[in-house]
Amino acid sequence: MKEMIVKVKNVVKRYSEKLALDHFNMEVKEGEILGLLGPNGCGKTTAINCILSLLNFDKGEIQLFGQKMTPNSYDIKRQIGLVPQEVSVFENLTVRENIDYFCGLYVDDKNTRRRYVDEAIEFVGLKDYVKYYPKKLSGGLKRRLNIACGIVHKPKLIFLDEPTVAVDAQSRNFILEGIRKLNQEGSTIIYTTHYLEEAEMLCSRIIIMDNGKDLVSGTTEELKAMITTSEKIVVSFLSLEDEMIDSMHKIPHVVDIEKKGEDLIIKFENGNNNLSNLISFITEHKLTYRKLYSQLPTLNDVFLELTGRELRD
Amino acid sequence: MTVYKYFIKVALKNKWIIIMYITIFFVMTLLNSTDAMKREESFVETRLNIGIIDKSMSELSSGLREYLEKENNIVDILEDEEYIKEQIFLEIADAVIIIPEDFDQKVVNKKEAILIYKDDRKPQALQIENQVNKFLAFANITYKDGRFELEDVKEALNESVEVQLLSSGDSYARTGVDSWFRFYYKFTGYVIIGVYIAIIGLVMSDFRDKNVDNRRKISSKRFLDFNKEMYLGQLTLAAAVTAVFIVASMLIMGKKLGEVYYIKYLVNLIVFSFSILCLTFLISNITRNKYAITALSTVLSLGTSFISGVMVPQELLGDKVLAIAKFFPMYYFVKINDSMIKSLLEVRYELFMQLLFAVVFLLIGLIFSKRAQKA
Repeated sequence: MKEMIVKVKNVVKRYSEKLALDHFNMEVKEGEILGLLGPNGCGKTTAINCILSLLNFDKGEIQLFGQKMTPNSYDIKRQIGLVPQEVSVFENLTVRENIDYFCGLYVDDKNTRRRYVDEAIEFVGLKDYVKYYPKKLSGGLKRRLNIACGIVHKPKLIFLDEPTVAVDAQSRNFILEGIRKLNQEGSTIIYTTHYLEEAEMLCSRIIIMDNGKDLVSGTTEELKAMITTSEKIVVSFLSLEDEMIDSMHKIPHVVDIEKKGEDLIIKFENGNNNLSNLISFITEHKLTYRKLYSQLPTLNDVFLELTGRELRD
Repeated sequence: MTVYKYFIKVALKNKWIIIMYITIFFVMTLLNSTDAMKREESFVETRLNIGIIDKSMSELSSGLREYLEKENNIVDILEDEEYIKEQIFLEIADAVIIIPEDFDQKVVNKKEAILIYKDDRKPQALQIENQVNKFLAFANITYKDGRFELEDVKEALNESVEVQLLSSGDSYARTGVDSWFRFYYKFTGYVIIGVYIAIIGLVMSDFRDKNVDNRRKISSKRFLDFNKEMYLGQLTLAAAVTAVFIVASMLIMGKKLGEVYYIKYLVNLIVFSFSILCLTFLISNITRNKYAITALSTVLSLGTSFISGVMVPQELLGDKVLAIAKFFPMYYFVKINDSMIKSLLEVRYELFMQLLFAVVFLLIGLIFSKRAQKA
């Protein structure tokens, strides 16, 4: 059985009147890539800062590696790496010097440090930029440097706080691939993001957050199974009368019909032959359509059903 | 010692600020060294060409004319303002004095008795004012029972005062060498404040940047160890800058160290340097804003230097200015530099005050540091 590495129980954090974390819970097992998914300002970064003892919290309990986490838990800290949302490096030091400095906060031995720094540079692909100052690097390369500084000491548990914000597609793929590699090498990852696709693609388990609360947790499939909609069919008709939409409600398993511009989004609950039933309806009523496609529910649908809002709002 | 190593590295990335301050300092020192080493040892009165218009024709005015004729060359002059000004402009006369009719009365009543036109382009023209004032002052003293004792005035004016610049027997009496050291070490105060606050302040703001500091906070580096290395870095930098000034003074004036009480300058600089290091500690705990730090560096270095007597001697500064200056260690630093002492015990109060400031800065800095740590 895999060890529980992070245990967060009923944590409450207030910023004067604002409730940033509202009885927040989270558990992470060794080897997982846990995605903390939620809209901007939902409390993801606050949750991470509380877990890392960068912020005090008002109530609750946090344990890392089976021990209570405090600002003086240096043995626990030795096993943690943080890649913060902001690029947090020295502008006056070169790429190599930056990585070496942050490694030096964990590793005293010079030779080990040199090896670790070389490996980190290799890992993030900054070999050709070691003598560059951060201001000379592109946004994507800066993000890579930010990651290198957080993982150089080979931590067992890595917190990545929105590491792909404002990054070009090429660098984003590079970063996501790197995270997978870190996980394969044995690191447990806690990954916060508001990008649905990234979370779906990368994470073995996801916690959806909103207003400081953990709404649901599970694998992508488990989360999708929690909602009533199991299939969405998008149709764009050349012309359609309102009475026809009412008739569509009689198609088996239809739970909701939504009009979005020229598109009609027909939502079905669990059931077979939804697409063929719809096509039969169209043929029967001699309707003409421009496009028609079927979609499985996304995490956005999960969020929408849970909160009544879209995650992208 | 990674933190220490990188503290020094980041500090050296700002080396241009250090070089700039130190270059300005040495250029000023170089310029001053030629002036300060020169010493005025004699003064010579020059004979001026003066015109006298005597409307009083009294015994007193005759006495004055006689005295001025003895000290200067008399030129003919007409009583016309335009003409007088022209003569002065053409350098025919250095000065013209007009003695009014009621001259005696004005002297007795101590009113402005004489009108003097002088060539303001020539510093020696001031001499005529001195001679007139001297005569009138003596005349006033002899005024008794409605008359002036002009014989006594003449006698007094004939007495010459011989001023000799003697060695006081005090081996550290003010000399040209001493003036050089005074100037040199006073200005180190200005540079030390500028460099410490600018360099150490900027480096500290890099290390205390919220995001960078969060990385340090979640690392396994103990807070105490981290701080120890940071303070060691600051101390190294301060010691290096102080050493540069000390060594440079030895290189420039090494042969003349024995002519001044050098230990005074040395101890004073070290104590002051420590005090400013503590001030920098306080500032870096109050603000991380680089613009604020740069501004403070300029304002504090120039401001305190000016009000404490680095630029202008303390004797020439007003009481209110000096009262404000007493709230800064620079005042005590300058006071020791300007003092003529044979033992450090004579300036123990000023040394104590600088150390007291250091302790106060340190304590307030620690309060802010604790508060930031808790936030």
